Amino acid sequence: MTAEIGLAKHPGRHLLEPEALAIVKEAGLTVIEHRTATSAEGAIAAAGQLGYPVAVKLVCREIVHKSEADGVQLDLRDAAAVGAAYRRIMEGAARHRPDARIDGVLVCRMARPGVEVILGLTRDPQFGPALMFGLGGIFVELYRDVSFRLVPISEHDAREMIHEIKGFPVLTGARGKPPRDLDTLTRSLLLLSALAASRPQIDAVDLNPVILYDHGCVVVDAKVFLTDGEGRP
Amino acid sequence: MTDSDNLSAIFTPKSVAVIGASTSPEKLGFQILKNIRDAGFKGPIYPVNPKARAILDLPCYPSIGAVEGAPELAVIIVPATAVPATLADCGAKGVKGAIVISGGFSESGPEGEALQRQALEVARTHKMRMVGPNCQGVNNPYHGLCASWPLITMRGAIAVVSQSGTVAAALMDWAAQEGIGVSGLVSMGNRADVDEADLIEHFDGDPQTRAIALYIEGVKNGPRFLTAARRARKPIVVLKPGRTEKGRQAAESHTKSLAGRDEVYQGAFRQFGICRAETLHELYDFSKALAYLRRPPGRRLLIVTSSGGCGVLAADVAAGEGLDVAPLPEAVASQLRASLPRHFVVNNPLDLTGDANSRLYKDVLAAAKGAFDVAAVIFGDPIVGASEVIERDRPELVIYLGGADVEREEGRLLHARGVPVFPTPERGMRALAQLVRFGRPVEKARP
Repeated sequence: MTAEIGLAKHPGRHLLEPEALAIVKEAGLTVIEHRTATSAEGAIAAAGQLGYPVAVKLVCREIVHKSEADGVQLDLRDAAAVGAAYRRIMEGAARHRPDARIDGVLVCRMARPGVEVILGLTRDPQFGPALMFGLGGIFVELYRDVSFRLVPISEHDAREMIHEIKGFPVLTGARGKPPRDLDTLTRSLLLLSALAASRPQIDAVDLNPVILYDHGCVVVDAKVFLTDGEGRP
Repeated sequence: MTDSDNLSAIFTPKSVAVIGASTSPEKLGFQILKNIRDAGFKGPIYPVNPKARAILDLPCYPSIGAVEGAPELAVIIVPATAVPATLADCGAKGVKGAIVISGGFSESGPEGEALQRQALEVARTHKMRMVGPNCQGVNNPYHGLCASWPLITMRGAIAVVSQSGTVAAALMDWAAQEGIGVSGLVSMGNRADVDEADLIEHFDGDPQTRAIALYIEGVKNGPRFLTAARRARKPIVVLKPGRTEKGRQAAESHTKSLAGRDEVYQGAFRQFGICRAETLHELYDFSKALAYLRRPPGRRLLIVTSSGGCGVLAADVAAGEGLDVAPLPEAVASQLRASLPRHFVVNNPLDLTGDANSRLYKDVLAAAKGAFDVAAVIFGDPIVGASEVIERDRPELVIYLGGADVEREEGRLLHARGVPVFPTPERGMRALAQLVRFGRPVEKARP
């Protein structure tokens, strides 16, 4: 499945996560290694190929926020755990939206721990596409500690976005942790800006979380929302 | 002033008609006519009112059509329903610009909105530029044109552009009271035609203007505003309320739910080099600093004070604003130790104590010259001769407080020389921080 097909096929809605990851990867960002599956056996086989531990996530057009439907099962360490997780996900989805059409599951490698950040894109009615950056977890949930810039951004803008959040010291090696790869983070923001500029069909993007290391970063979860084809969300 | 923006009929008209001029002194139609006359407008003024023969000794005309010649500017104060027809008469007469004071347009509901669209259409048909409707007018003190209220004529270097008439009037009033004045004032009202993007372009090209103070509740056209801001060579200070507005959308996208209107504005302001004020006082202070001072070469700050308390207050805010209250270089420190009385603690902030006089300030500032990027000079007592301490070619920001009548007199003298004075250490330091970020660079001496 190519990204182009994904975009053309589903106006006025969000893309399935494998489609979203494909678009983000095509834009040049590093995304978590993943496979799709439509059965417990398939999920176990995919996990075997990827290597444990893995995460298994629901793929369903009607359910955007998967965790509300038990649709995200993390840190699965063997085939038995993957099989059980597959069944829990199917039951959860059926309970949450009995009428929903389920496309399958996404099996992802578990990313190594690092600092969780959020990269996002939205369309402002007055100014057009705008990028967002923030730290994950309570920084964004509780303190709304995020920064915005309008597309297209320059490298200087990207660096300012990163520097101006209050939680910035977390990225520079607070409490004995190694400093994070701000060059890669800067480049990722620039790539997301380029994606927004080149794809007017995209209404919003949530890359949440992106895990940032001392070298490199990886997109662990991607949501892409589309306009109705005429620029309206 | 060039007419590349077609706004010269609004700012520098050769003649003005006041349509809806009134004989009753309590009416705006009277006050505006009087203000235009009393501000010293040089060209002909034509009051238009079918029921009066003369107002303020100016012969009155029954209609704009009856005026001899074609007034360049029409100031319109007639009921909203009569505005489109009045504009059409102006257009037929050859009027080039209109300021529509009257309310009752888009601010008042769908009928008013329709009237506003009609008015705009008429103005466009006749290629007239229009300020308003529902506004407090335009004041250009360099042209003797106070088509606004209250009557203020003090000339200066800050251009005031506002969606609120009272905010505009307050800024101009403060500037006049301090003796620094403004270069122009526009109360934009409903912004049917002329908006903040037009006015940024206009004042950026206006030789009297050195900084633009803007009060807006939102921009009329995002891309045009940003283009104007990016092109502007002069500092722009914006006060835009809505920080605490919880305009959050319930959106499926997490990013969308975090993108309150204000967060995106904040990002855009930073990206486009626009200085943001949080309060009306800051809008005034920042504009004053940016219009009357040049950008210091860096952030290293020396605080010279006669009040220990004010020095501490200033240092505290300065540090919070990212200014560097650096230790005195040893060469300067030893020179000061040699010249100052023994009980002085040579430090930064440099506290000259209650013994301070203008002589001491002069010596200290001369000794420290070149050792810092900028000096904050705090006069914290009635210090006579303070105005003579400050030299315009040195990067210095003046704060004066606690000096009663002496302070007011010295402040007046400083402002008369074009040196801005700030009333508290906090306000001075906040303004200085903006100057470091957004200030106009020092002009290079011509070879």
